[in-house]
Amino acid sequence: MKGDYLGEFEELVLLMVASLPENAYAVSVKKEIKQVAGRNVNISAVHSALYRLEQKGFLSSHLGGASARRGGKSKRLFEVTSAGMELLRIAKDLREQIWKNIPQLSFVS
Amino acid sequence: MKSPVHKPPRLGVYLLRLIYDEELFNDVYGDLYEIFIDRIEEKGKFLANVLFLIDALLSTRNYNLNKRPKTMNADLISMFKAYTKGTLRSFSKNKVYTILNISGLALGIAACLFILQYVSYERSYDRFHANYENLYRVRYQIFRGGELKIDCAAAVPRVGPFMEEKMPEVKAFARVYPYSDVVTNGDIKFRENSIHMTDPSFLKMFSFPLISGNVEDALTDPNTVVISEKVARKYFGDEDPMGKTLKIGESTIFKITGLAAEVPENSHFKFDLLVSYETLNNQTRQDDGTAASETAWGWYDFNTYVLLEPGVDPLEFDRKFKEVLWEERGEDFEKFNFEACFPLQPIGDIHLYSNLLQESLPDEQGDGKAVSFLTIIAFFILLIAWINYINLSTARSAERASEVGVRKTLGATRKNLIYQFLTESFILNLISLIFGIVIVIAGIGYFNKLTQSHLDLSFVSDPYFWLGIVIILFVGSLISGLYPAFVLSSFNPVSVLKGKFSSKQAGQFLRRALVVFQFAASVTLIASTLIVYQQLNHMRNLDLGFDLTETMVVKGPDIFSEDSLFVSTKETFINELLENHLIDKATTGSNVPGDEIFWTNGIKRVNESEDKFQTIYNVGVDYSYFDTYDIDFAAGRNYGREFKTDTGAVILNEAAVKSLGFENPTAAIDQKVTFWGRPKTIVGVVKDYHQMSAKATIAPIAFPLALRSSSFITLKLSGNDFQSVFAEVQKTYEEFFPGNPFEYFFLDDFFNRQYRNDYKFSRVFTLFAGFAIFVACLGLFGLSSFNALKRTKEIGVRKVLGASILSIVRLLTKEFLILVLISNIIAWPVIYLIMNTWLDNFAERIPIGITTFIIAGVIVLIVSLVTVSYKTVATAKSNPVKAIRYE
Repeated sequence: MKGDYLGEFEELVLLMVASLPENAYAVSVKKEIKQVAGRNVNISAVHSALYRLEQKGFLSSHLGGASARRGGKSKRLFEVTSAGMELLRIAKDLREQIWKNIPQLSFVS
Repeated sequence: MKSPVHKPPRLGVYLLRLIYDEELFNDVYGDLYEIFIDRIEEKGKFLANVLFLIDALLSTRNYNLNKRPKTMNADLISMFKAYTKGTLRSFSKNKVYTILNISGLALGIAACLFILQYVSYERSYDRFHANYENLYRVRYQIFRGGELKIDCAAAVPRVGPFMEEKMPEVKAFARVYPYSDVVTNGDIKFRENSIHMTDPSFLKMFSFPLISGNVEDALTDPNTVVISEKVARKYFGDEDPMGKTLKIGESTIFKITGLAAEVPENSHFKFDLLVSYETLNNQTRQDDGTAASETAWGWYDFNTYVLLEPGVDPLEFDRKFKEVLWEERGEDFEKFNFEACFPLQPIGDIHLYSNLLQESLPDEQGDGKAVSFLTIIAFFILLIAWINYINLSTARSAERASEVGVRKTLGATRKNLIYQFLTESFILNLISLIFGIVIVIAGIGYFNKLTQSHLDLSFVSDPYFWLGIVIILFVGSLISGLYPAFVLSSFNPVSVLKGKFSSKQAGQFLRRALVVFQFAASVTLIASTLIVYQQLNHMRNLDLGFDLTETMVVKGPDIFSEDSLFVSTKETFINELLENHLIDKATTGSNVPGDEIFWTNGIKRVNESEDKFQTIYNVGVDYSYFDTYDIDFAAGRNYGREFKTDTGAVILNEAAVKSLGFENPTAAIDQKVTFWGRPKTIVGVVKDYHQMSAKATIAPIAFPLALRSSSFITLKLSGNDFQSVFAEVQKTYEEFFPGNPFEYFFLDDFFNRQYRNDYKFSRVFTLFAGFAIFVACLGLFGLSSFNALKRTKEIGVRKVLGASILSIVRLLTKEFLILVLISNIIAWPVIYLIMNTWLDNFAERIPIGITTFIIAGVIVLIVSLVTVSYKTVATAKSNPVKAIRYE
């Protein structure tokens, strides 16, 4: 997986999807980001990240049920693929590795 | 709780629909709607609407999430690359056909380019003048009894100034009076034939730049002259001629007030020396102080040009001027029963469309009709080349059929295939175009030599040229590629791959029609070339009514010391020359055949009224003129020394006698006419002869006995030893007439130079007829060899069954012969129509004989037979076993 580096926002969205199994879609991700990170992001940014991640192969999607709540449109639900999971793990390991080398702070992850 | 159905703002929805394609829209809209509903509950309807719109707007950046555009772009480029590969592959697989195609097209393009260059050059005459749009030449026409009797490029001196005075549309005028004389600078002495007396306004109206000297006043003073660079070098070498002097004529000294740049080749008017008009005025000054060269209405030797205000309609001007002229000259018109008209000719029309009397450079006049004709031929040739391509491509369809079948099976659509074949056509055209241009660049020198033109390579830098090339490229690719593309792409892959495909039907009819067209064009070209050649020959060999072989003409002396002694000196000179056994006869005259006669005056029968005066041309002769030229008499006798009354006698030609109303030449003998203001008796009538080329009708001519006339001394040589005669004539001439440069020419060369343009046209025509036929043959070769190839199996079988080589060849060629026959039938009426029109240009024309048609048809037949049979014989001779095994 050389060369596939995620942007900060994309990584965030990917993590969110991972943390919302069975219920990850644009609106829920947006709400989750607001709740967890306190950031107000625009829905279009979320869409952009989600679909890009899908194109890169880190997410897969399927259509969920339609509801009146959505004006009759069905919901597109996203899951993290194994490639996506692998990417997150690598990113996480990389961060921890670097953190270990920082002298003043000695966190145990 | 039932939630009411809220609708988000329609604008926002519309925007989303625009941005996203269907799939994405459904997802995105759903999400946005959900948020919208939430917001209604949290923040109220208004804010929800607003925020929805904002979200929609922000979504515009996600446009590129849509799947389609990206992939389409990638497809086009790779498509083109793939097709190019395919094209190159098919080219190298069939090298022969590719080479045939390319050479045919390249030749066609080269021929087309050559002709177009030539045509554009012929059309470019005189365009370099800044005032080109508004410059006109005044034409001089004399009508008598409603009939046009004289149509001349040189008008009278008075009309120029008169037009400027009376017509506000005329900004300026300039007259040009051409003459020739001996020019001397010390020891350097030559006869100059291109001297022109011009008004000072000439240099301002026309764009003949002066290297030194002032355009404003170079020609204002009398006895001043502007010379060309060539003349300067001739008389002054490398020195600056400004301010120096030249002697022109016997004694007049002229100051050089200007040095002019060489006149460009494409100008209807060229000069070596320009003399100020005032000089002429001084020479023609009459007792009352006025100059004939300013006031005369009847002396027509003056090329007159006018510069009109921009936007003036020349026809309207002619109409207006006619009325003005009648006010001034109407009285004379009625008294003498004639009318003079002065219509305007735009100078752009002069080179190609003017064939009047007294043109500035009659031998350089072009032929507008021929030029248009050539343009048509150019496109014909190109058309033939493209037709070749179409024919060859469709003929080869069987071979490409399996390729097409495979491609289609692998998923190519018909559209894809069409693009593929169009690309192939484009690349082929591109390569041929490049080769064609290379041929033109390499061959332009040869072309110039062959056709005596002056084309250069400047077209390479002309943006219009490249624009034209690009257009030809695209149009040509489309024309030549579209039909084969459609035919080839229509094959059914299943039947093709099964081998059921029979290439016979693919475009058979069209191919045949195209071949017929090519042949018809070839027959037309060959027959036309033959007719042109015949006509020229006819004119050359025409019984001109006089003998121009073995005749040497020496220019008579201009400078002679004692005028009264001239006649006797001349006679002694001639007698001395006649003692040379190689010189048979000698005579002097004011004119020789082949030289345009400018000397005219009026003649009428003595008993007719004043209004019956007609214009007649004059050739001054001596006693031996008619004998030397071998001109026969129709009635009466020649002048003779023994007839003392011959000072009151005149000899006319048949045309003159007819125009004066005599029934026949004999009836005119001993009749009296008023000529040169006096009554004269007609003592002899000579048979008509062609003073000018066979193209012109024979004009009425009078031959007054004018012993003083010394313009030309004609010597009839008996035998071909030119060298010794020449030396002696020159020596004797310089003895008798010192101070005169010795100039001579041979009458046959001189006379035939009138046909120079016709020969040029004939050469160009033949060259391109050859081109066209060659290209057609290339195509035929390709077609026939392909045909033979296809029928290899059939030939093999026939051979096995006992057919002879001859019968096989006969079988294969029969098809083509029928086509040749049909094309002849089509071509013959076309040839007849076109050539008849062309031949009508000539006063003396040949009838179009049936033999010409037959010869043309036979030539095409033979050529096509040879081309076709070359391949078919080879195929017929081949081993039948191999042929049948051929799969």
